[in-house]
Amino acid sequence: MRIAVCRPQVPFARGGAEIFTDELVDELRARGHDADLVTIPFKWYPGARVLTQAFLWRLLDLSESDGRRVDMVVPTKFPSYLVRHEEKRVWLVHQFRQAYELDGTPLGQFSDTLEDRAVRRQVQELDRVSLGEATRLFATSQNVAGRLERSTGLHAEVLPHPPQQLDYRNDGDGGYVLSASRLDRAKRIDLLLEAASLEPGLELVIASDGPDRERLEGIARDRGIADRVRFAGRVSPDELAGLYAGCLATYYAPVDEDFGMGPYESFLSEKPVVTATDAGGPLDVVHDRRTGLVVEPDPPALAGALRWLREHRDEAASYGRAGKALAAEVTWDHAIARLLS
Amino acid sequence: MKVAYFSPMPPEQSGIADYSALLVPALRSRVELEVVRRGRTRAPKGVDLCVYHIGNNPGAHGWIVDALRRTPGLVVLHDFVLHHLVAGITIGRRDGHGYLDAMEREAGVVGRLLAHGVLDKRIPPLWENRPEDFPLAGEILSRASGLIVHSQYVMQRARAAGYVGPIWRIPHPAFHVPEPMPAGLEGAPLVGAFGNVNMSKRVPQLLEAFSALRRSHPGARLLLVGAVSPGFDLDRRLQRLGLGDEGMHREGWVDEARLWSLMAACDIHVNLRSPTMGETSGTTIRALSLGKPLVVSDAGWFGELPDGVALKVPVGADERPTLVAALELLATRADVREAMGAAARQLAQADHGLDRVADRYLAAFEHAAGGPAVDDTVLREVSEAAAGVGVAPDSDEAREIARRLAEVDLGG
Repeated sequence: MRIAVCRPQVPFARGGAEIFTDELVDELRARGHDADLVTIPFKWYPGARVLTQAFLWRLLDLSESDGRRVDMVVPTKFPSYLVRHEEKRVWLVHQFRQAYELDGTPLGQFSDTLEDRAVRRQVQELDRVSLGEATRLFATSQNVAGRLERSTGLHAEVLPHPPQQLDYRNDGDGGYVLSASRLDRAKRIDLLLEAASLEPGLELVIASDGPDRERLEGIARDRGIADRVRFAGRVSPDELAGLYAGCLATYYAPVDEDFGMGPYESFLSEKPVVTATDAGGPLDVVHDRRTGLVVEPDPPALAGALRWLREHRDEAASYGRAGKALAAEVTWDHAIARLLS
Repeated sequence: MKVAYFSPMPPEQSGIADYSALLVPALRSRVELEVVRRGRTRAPKGVDLCVYHIGNNPGAHGWIVDALRRTPGLVVLHDFVLHHLVAGITIGRRDGHGYLDAMEREAGVVGRLLAHGVLDKRIPPLWENRPEDFPLAGEILSRASGLIVHSQYVMQRARAAGYVGPIWRIPHPAFHVPEPMPAGLEGAPLVGAFGNVNMSKRVPQLLEAFSALRRSHPGARLLLVGAVSPGFDLDRRLQRLGLGDEGMHREGWVDEARLWSLMAACDIHVNLRSPTMGETSGTTIRALSLGKPLVVSDAGWFGELPDGVALKVPVGADERPTLVAALELLATRADVREAMGAAARQLAQADHGLDRVADRYLAAFEHAAGGPAVDDTVLREVSEAAAGVGVAPDSDEAREIARRLAEVDLGG
């Protein structure tokens, strides 16, 4: 089958959606399909630019390529699902969140001007029309499916995907808590630093990089915990696997996350996850006192959870093993079989 | 955003006044909204959008049409057939020429000649016996920058009439049910019909069908609530069918509390309509809110109700036997009544929930107020990009781009 996986590209940025779509193409090819990735750069500001840039997807003709029929398109995130095709199976990573739940928050984009309000509504209309055309509609998490249903009335089947392929293993408990999220505000790594300042002796490893790094390093200095916090920056896949393998637990508590590969990576290393009650997608798999701890998003609650794990290492390890059993069920074989069924 | 809101409001006795009384508080929690004083036809200063509620009653909506004529805006079209309204604001204001023009606009020279016939009293008033053939919605549509409608039926009629602006279909909001004490009326079952008693509510057909039901269900009772329209001889019909007090209870216009109490007492609600003016029925929405099983005409908005909440009766040859069968089914099967009632309540809470309806109004307001500027920007950017690579305005490529824009409702 010839399958075009569709994804917008934000030049010079790479995150979970990019890893997911790259691996999807590889996994489809590994199963004998002729798969390729179709991308278009996407700039969503200022003003109505989000609409005209999104519209570029509508002009594509992916019915065939080089004289050969394209059997299916698999768009993933806004605005790639504006693409036209008779077999459009959307595997939704997320909608344009600034037009929905982020509107009116510091992470929003649209002001109160009449034009901005109308642009936001037009984005919602694009979703309603283009997602309504899908022949099948999947969402990577219950959180994404729920947002879709609330905003458009459309129902999506929940279809999680495996995390990136790493040399997952458990090298034992090295005593530190790992955060491997990109360093931006929505990932709430500052919450982890504040909690660490309340928990003497707790060591953190902050892997990855991002625009919030300078601020986070400042918080570590200001709280006097810089000697207990290692900012490892962007690490190689092998280094990341090693950090997972040696930690006590991982921290993953973004605000209302879409899906989040972090918990799956942690679980495949048999490590429990500490998350927050408002984290969104991770709550599909991080279950309190079964695969990790779920706490209110405030420093004392988080510090208490981390202390408990340090004092109950056997339980922590058992949560990690339970998580692995759960994550092991999410395989590419299963996901692709459902996608193409 | 500041919105000027033109609508009849209580204490006016109008379904649309009740509608606005329900909706306005929910809208005010979302947007700055000024309810314009009745009779004022100038838009208040500093508003970003004018919203006009238009229905078929000239007494309630004539002044709103005058305001719309001054300042175009978003029209909430409660009825598609506006003949009575137009007659009221033309002939009723001694503007016969206005009526002639409206009819000519609608139906050309033939329409103008018919209008002359009406003015000269050579033919009966068209708004009384043929309004659906001449809806006279043209002027309202031409002045509306966007439309809010309650049904697919009105949306289709507006499109068929050539309206090309944006249309939002927003369900009628469900009423808050005030936990009424059901009126102490006997009936096994008690069948209720609420609203004006006249031909278009299919009261003759209902009376005949109910009379047939009484033969198999002697304990059945019909509750008929509403004013009798002039010229409708209810008493004679009841006498002919032998429907006395034992099988029938009559009340005229009732206040809000009594209305809820009577509606709550009924086991089955019947709301038939033909011809339809494209209207939504407030009493049907109330029945849904109360979780009552419905029997309705398969016409207009009524025909769009989900099958799970309403048994639909075709208008025409099979109307009477189908109506009898529907009443028989609901009179006999308490389980069906309960299932339909539960579905009705669910529908009222979901699709017709006040917050959801108000959110959809807000979306329409924001589209209508800022949309034209956004459309201009999108079209300018796309056309500049196309021109930049040599796409001529009247080329196949330009038409292809226009089609793609229209598919996703971009660019107006």
